[in-house]
Amino acid sequence: MYGKGIAKGLWVTLKHLWGTYAKDIKKFPRRYAPGGIAKRPDYDLYGIFTLQYPEERYTMFPRFRGALMHLRNPETGEPNCTACGACERACPHGVISVEGEGKGKDRKVTAYRYDLGRCIFCRLCVESCNFNAIEMSHEYELARYKKDFILQLDDLLKIGDKYGIHKTGEAWGVTE
Amino acid sequence: MLKTETITINMGPQHPSTHGVFRMVLTLNGETIVDLKPMFGYLHRGLEKTSEGRTYLQAVPFTDRLDYICSMSNNFAYAVAVEKLAGIEVPIRAEYIRVIMAELTRLVNHMLAIGFLFNDLGAWYTPVVYAFRERERILDLFEMASGSRMMCNYIRPGGVSGDLPAEFLPLLRKMIPHLENFVREIRDYLSDNEIFKARAVGVGFLPADMAMAYSITGPVLRASGVKYDVRKAEPYSIYNQFEFDVPTQVAGDVYARYLQRLDEMDESLKILRQAVERIPDGEYATKVPSRLRPPKGEAYARIESPKGELGFYLVSDGSPNPYRWRNRPPSLINLSALREMCLGHKVADVVTILGSIDITLADVDR
Amino acid sequence: MQVLDDLWIRIAQWLRGVFDSFLPPWAAQLVMDVLGILLLIVWGIVVVLAFTYMERKVIARVGDRIGPNRAGPLGIFQAFADAIKMLTKEDVTPTNADRALFLAAPIVIIIPAVLLYAVLPFGRGMVGVDLSIAVVFVVAMGGIPILTMLMAGWASNNKYALLGGFRTVAQLISYEVPMVVALLTVVLLAGTMSTVGIVEAQATFPFALVTPVAFVVYMLAGLAELNRTPFDLLEADSEIVAGYFIEYSGMKFAMFFLAEYINLFMVAGMITTLFLAGWQWPILPSWLWFLIKVIVVIFLMMWIRSTIPRFRIDQMLGFAWKALVPLALVNLFVVALVAKLLEPGWARTGVLFVSNLALLAAVGFIMARQSRKREEQARAAGEAAIRRYYGSPIR
Repeated sequence: MYGKGIAKGLWVTLKHLWGTYAKDIKKFPRRYAPGGIAKRPDYDLYGIFTLQYPEERYTMFPRFRGALMHLRNPETGEPNCTACGACERACPHGVISVEGEGKGKDRKVTAYRYDLGRCIFCRLCVESCNFNAIEMSHEYELARYKKDFILQLDDLLKIGDKYGIHKTGEAWGVTE
Repeated sequence: MLKTETITINMGPQHPSTHGVFRMVLTLNGETIVDLKPMFGYLHRGLEKTSEGRTYLQAVPFTDRLDYICSMSNNFAYAVAVEKLAGIEVPIRAEYIRVIMAELTRLVNHMLAIGFLFNDLGAWYTPVVYAFRERERILDLFEMASGSRMMCNYIRPGGVSGDLPAEFLPLLRKMIPHLENFVREIRDYLSDNEIFKARAVGVGFLPADMAMAYSITGPVLRASGVKYDVRKAEPYSIYNQFEFDVPTQVAGDVYARYLQRLDEMDESLKILRQAVERIPDGEYATKVPSRLRPPKGEAYARIESPKGELGFYLVSDGSPNPYRWRNRPPSLINLSALREMCLGHKVADVVTILGSIDITLADVDR
Repeated sequence: MQVLDDLWIRIAQWLRGVFDSFLPPWAAQLVMDVLGILLLIVWGIVVVLAFTYMERKVIARVGDRIGPNRAGPLGIFQAFADAIKMLTKEDVTPTNADRALFLAAPIVIIIPAVLLYAVLPFGRGMVGVDLSIAVVFVVAMGGIPILTMLMAGWASNNKYALLGGFRTVAQLISYEVPMVVALLTVVLLAGTMSTVGIVEAQATFPFALVTPVAFVVYMLAGLAELNRTPFDLLEADSEIVAGYFIEYSGMKFAMFFLAEYINLFMVAGMITTLFLAGWQWPILPSWLWFLIKVIVVIFLMMWIRSTIPRFRIDQMLGFAWKALVPLALVNLFVVALVAKLLEPGWARTGVLFVSNLALLAAVGFIMARQSRKREEQARAAGEAAIRRYYGSPIR
């Protein structure tokens, strides 16, 4: 019979259409998730699936790779970075450039330039760091109005203070 | 007597349906295709040459960007090639994790392929949205494990870059019956559709002997009837410990390729079930120095990526940078039969046939 | 309920009274006529605004997402936003294009679309003009847009547009034939060509129950005339990127867009009038019933659009000439025979319903058998190739 396949397809689509309205009636009158943080959707085939950004946002998983950030020593408040240059050598694109002064145990970082426009967020720099100094944050809203993509040490420390992580690789179950 | 002339049309690099910047110069006689010349290279980024200036570890993010939809498979192929070159052993838990990621990638890719085949055919975005909804759930799993949804950079030479988080396996176990439901729903919705059958049966026929002559691999080859799968022919990793079939179809046209991808999704779900049950505890990677210096020599390793046979050919001269870094692109080699498949069909069929071969331009042009 | 039913008629009579008080009768009549024309034109634009919004919402909900919801509460001002956007776009005329035709095509396509609203019966006693040959008028006016689409395709100096223009003419002319034959069936059953008369002849049974074949044929032919999926090869995004209006931008493109939605309401209105008994059902006021039925038919068309892929051009023309035209002609013959032999009533309706279903089933089985034969051919070719490769019949 010629129209049977088309009729089956139309029935599947109608179930989806009805499913979105049924789910909306169940959630009525709340349109956006409370507090603006939405859960990842549940496992069923029907219902509205899209996220109403910017009223709702997802929380990222702990391992999410956003922009780079610097970590501080929790007691002294100084950045952990010793300007060893391992991250500069590990980056595939030449995004980082580091300068430091002092020798041996007293070596401290003076300038740290990170080019947000060229970073590919691969995390190879974090994996090469031995001093608990850098980690990937959860910042993904990185658009800017001006071309000020090069972040200095202070901007990176500010992002790091927002997230309050103290050890590199906390989310990965690795403690070095 | 009437005389007809052929006209030349350019389905140019900017076109909504050519899956990327791909250009085809068609010579038409009325609506029938008389000649087809594919031209690509609009997306060439020089990945092979760039990787030759980097160490083996730094080149892993570049393999992500080769075929950006199945990035875990590309990482996998590269890791297998480097391990063959340098003689590195991989712990058993890492092998299980790699197999799980590879099969999830196969699901992701086939969902996208089926969705966009129907987008080209004209169903206004509904199959795409259904397929993408399920794909989002799998991409959430990727983000949980590796930190990024598409450019995963997770499977490294020596193992994987981090152990699976604690929520991964329970979530995957909950998701597998749901994905089987989804494949069943797609079969209900699309497989019997008479209009789709009228557009797809008998269109783009690729005979089995011609497919072997053009060295086509992947679902396109298996839909033409040749039972060849790298996972069974030359097993890599631990695939010889799983039970799965290699489905084939007989007809070799667009409809057969669509059914082939659905069957392969079912087989992947079978492998996932077995892997999730049997995964052991253990190490997730062997320690590999970041400036790896493999001994002098060459190695070619190939895997069954969702698009075909993906291989890496590495030549080392003892230094931390590879001397030659080359990949065998499945999309490019599958495209070589496009002209043969399209001759004699109408203009509207070219888009359907291109959609059924399932190429990614980043893999064609590298 | 009688009050609600006559609501618009009473308003019109009150307005007439107001004008009569300070104008001579001929002037009052002229003013009323002009107001009526303006009302129909405004109704056309309102229809476009409402149904573009409804279409986007329906297609979105089928795909598990919310449609437009930012422009105004629940997104109801989305159509205004689209209109403002189209007004502010640059108006580009390609070089070497035929300027007169390029400018004329969008203007000429709107005129027949709005003219057709004059014969739709919106309710009991509410019709623009009660022509006694309304059906012929509809067919004639519906044929003018075909010419304008060819004009548009020819006037843009573009190979893709030309291809689109050719395909348009082929498709629309082919689908006029089954549409006219289905219309003839209805005219035969009703005995009159005026739309008001046809609605009144469906007092006992809507014609969709009496001749389902004509209903299905008219529905499919109407979808094809409107260039909607599954017959929308002319606007196929995937091959010849937007067909005959590929070179139009700004307000001229908006004119084509308007014409498509005005035609949509017209075809849905015709289906309601001819097959679903127009404004004829009890309890609710008649104009409300008309609107409800038209919205149901339009929802059906949008539902089909969001689900089904599209035909290829030769398959579409084959479907028209080889399936719809013979079906419609045989149905006309059967209906004529039965209508001559039996009186209007339950017996005639029952016999016609059963015979039409039998016809539909027969056509369905024949087409299914043909598609199965094509599948067998593809399988045989594949098996021959496998045999050549493996050298043995078993794979």
